[in-house]
Amino acid sequence: METPLAKILVIEDDDGTAEEIVTALDERGYVLDRAADGNQGLERARTGAWDVLVIDRMLPGLDGLAVIETLRGEGIRTPVLVLSALSAVNDRVRGLRAGGDDYLAKPFALSELAARLESLLRRPADPRETVLRVGPLELDLLARAARRGRRELELLPREFQLLEYMMRREGQVLTRAMLLENVWNYRFVPQTNLVDVHIGRLRRKVDGSDEPPMILSVRGAGFVLRAPA
Amino acid sequence: MRPPEFIHSTTFRWALGVAGAFGICTLLLFGFVYWQTGTYVTGNIDATIATDVHLEQNKPREQVVAVVNEHNLEDPRRVKLAGLFEPDGRPIAGNVAALPPGLPLDGMAHPCKLIRVDNRGSELQNVRAVALRLDSGDVLIIGRDADELGEIADIVGRALALGLLPALCLALLTGTLLSKRAQWRIDEMNRRVQRVVAGELKERLPTGGYDDPLNRLATIVNEMLDQIERLVNELASVGDDIAHDLRTPLTRVRAILERGRDTAGSMQDLYTATDRAIAGLDQSLTIITALLRIAEIDHSRRIAGMATIQLPEILQAVHELYQPIAEDKGVTLKVELDETATVSGDHDLLLEAVANLVDNAVKFTPAGGSVTLRLLQRADGPIVRVEDTGPGICEADRDAVFTRFYRSDRSRHATGVGLGLNLVAAIVKLHGFRLAIMDGPGCRIEIACPAA
Repeated sequence: METPLAKILVIEDDDGTAEEIVTALDERGYVLDRAADGNQGLERARTGAWDVLVIDRMLPGLDGLAVIETLRGEGIRTPVLVLSALSAVNDRVRGLRAGGDDYLAKPFALSELAARLESLLRRPADPRETVLRVGPLELDLLARAARRGRRELELLPREFQLLEYMMRREGQVLTRAMLLENVWNYRFVPQTNLVDVHIGRLRRKVDGSDEPPMILSVRGAGFVLRAPA
Repeated sequence: MRPPEFIHSTTFRWALGVAGAFGICTLLLFGFVYWQTGTYVTGNIDATIATDVHLEQNKPREQVVAVVNEHNLEDPRRVKLAGLFEPDGRPIAGNVAALPPGLPLDGMAHPCKLIRVDNRGSELQNVRAVALRLDSGDVLIIGRDADELGEIADIVGRALALGLLPALCLALLTGTLLSKRAQWRIDEMNRRVQRVVAGELKERLPTGGYDDPLNRLATIVNEMLDQIERLVNELASVGDDIAHDLRTPLTRVRAILERGRDTAGSMQDLYTATDRAIAGLDQSLTIITALLRIAEIDHSRRIAGMATIQLPEILQAVHELYQPIAEDKGVTLKVELDETATVSGDHDLLLEAVANLVDNAVKFTPAGGSVTLRLLQRADGPIVRVEDTGPGICEADRDAVFTRFYRSDRSRHATGVGLGLNLVAAIVKLHGFRLAIMDGPGCRIEIACPAA
């Protein structure tokens, strides 16, 4: 319920998938509408004031990518999350090039979809900021220094990047795939719990044994960084 | 009556065409021979009779009469003609009835018609003849029957008939047989292909022992059928493997949910059960995702994101990614990079391949062991080597590693879906690199990247 009443348009032709998406997002407090084909979707996307669009890659009538391209051509900049059942290596690139902001391959977990939508809905902290602060946590991007309260944190370069990414998205659920994609720039899902191990290391440095935890696991979804209550 | 089928066959038509062309060439050749022979014979006759006439130019009449009579004496075939005429045209001697009107008295050979008169009667003959007015004023004609040329034509024609007709017949017969045979072979191939179409993938086309286009085609088709049969079998076994590898986690999920519903005493118990069920389903989804990725990489003809890749950078990245996990497990992960090397390829895919090798190595190496990631430079290109001190992969299992879904029984207890090496193999193949599994202290896997 972080962004109440955010309006989402789902353009998805498969009734079952659309219903699952709509129900799950509805429960999270979004306002939803659904279009079942490309032309109808394009029409509604043009006329409504949407905060984010979820567009399936393959649609009857007008293809999903064509919908995005048309919208972008008309100057409509609403963030778009592309859903695709295609697994072609280049499909992701094509989706993003057409003007999509994020890309999710089917099958996906609903928590993954929700986390990515939330990320699209929220503007990350001003990228020109050189010192990030979340509660007692402070990250100086110029000096490459991190501290919690008065305690200096000794971070490896990648841990620093990971912490920066999480601090810019304070309070937002970040999935393993999102972290791999955005922090390590990896597009594949490793077979071992790599992200958990890296987060675990960062957590041991950020959250001292006598301090209230700031890096939290969200069951079935991912991780979140939050100022201690 | 319908003409027999072989007449429509290409081979037969070719044979017919060749026979026709051969016939025309032969006719032209014989025509030329006839023409040349005729010219030669005529030239000979003309020269002889002209010389004969000119020899008499300045001789007195009596001598010339003697020569004429002698000339006509020995002539059983009645081909020789000679006649001497008074200046006013009356005959003096010889077997020529009268001066032919059209024959110029120029001492040159000309074709003309003459009436021959001898003791066997008179006869109009086609001849080559020379007429000359001698010094005495008399006119001397010497000629020779030109029908000899017709005989040459006869001989040439007979030779033509004797040579050409059998050759044409032979060509047609050969064409017919060849086309019949080709027809038969194609029918046979057709029958067998029909059987393949009907689903009998074991069927193969007949290939003779010798090298001809049809046999070569049949060999290629057979290789194609081998490939198809292999793929279909592979597909079937992949299907079995998928069923097996999906059934296992799904059965577990089912059991977890069932037990959760029956025995959960609290909401918390139910949550725990659901989480475990979701984890199980995620594992199934991972299998499907990995399978789809292997399939898509297998079917990619080319790499879209081809670029120059720094191998040390890839190795460093993988090392950094897996260092914490190895450390947690008590495995030393080392990277040795004294070389710089670039290859042309897709960054993400190569990273995925190396990461998968290290993932596997770390997974199967027991605590206290080590995994070494090395970049070597060979004459034919760089080599990425991953060595571990794990159990290794036994000889018999090595090939199987490259087929989908293989997981050696010894590794069944380890997590992961057993698709890692398949994925690596697919990526390596797509790049045109080579993957090799060797004995090391444990397992040694190399990706050799020959410069393209």
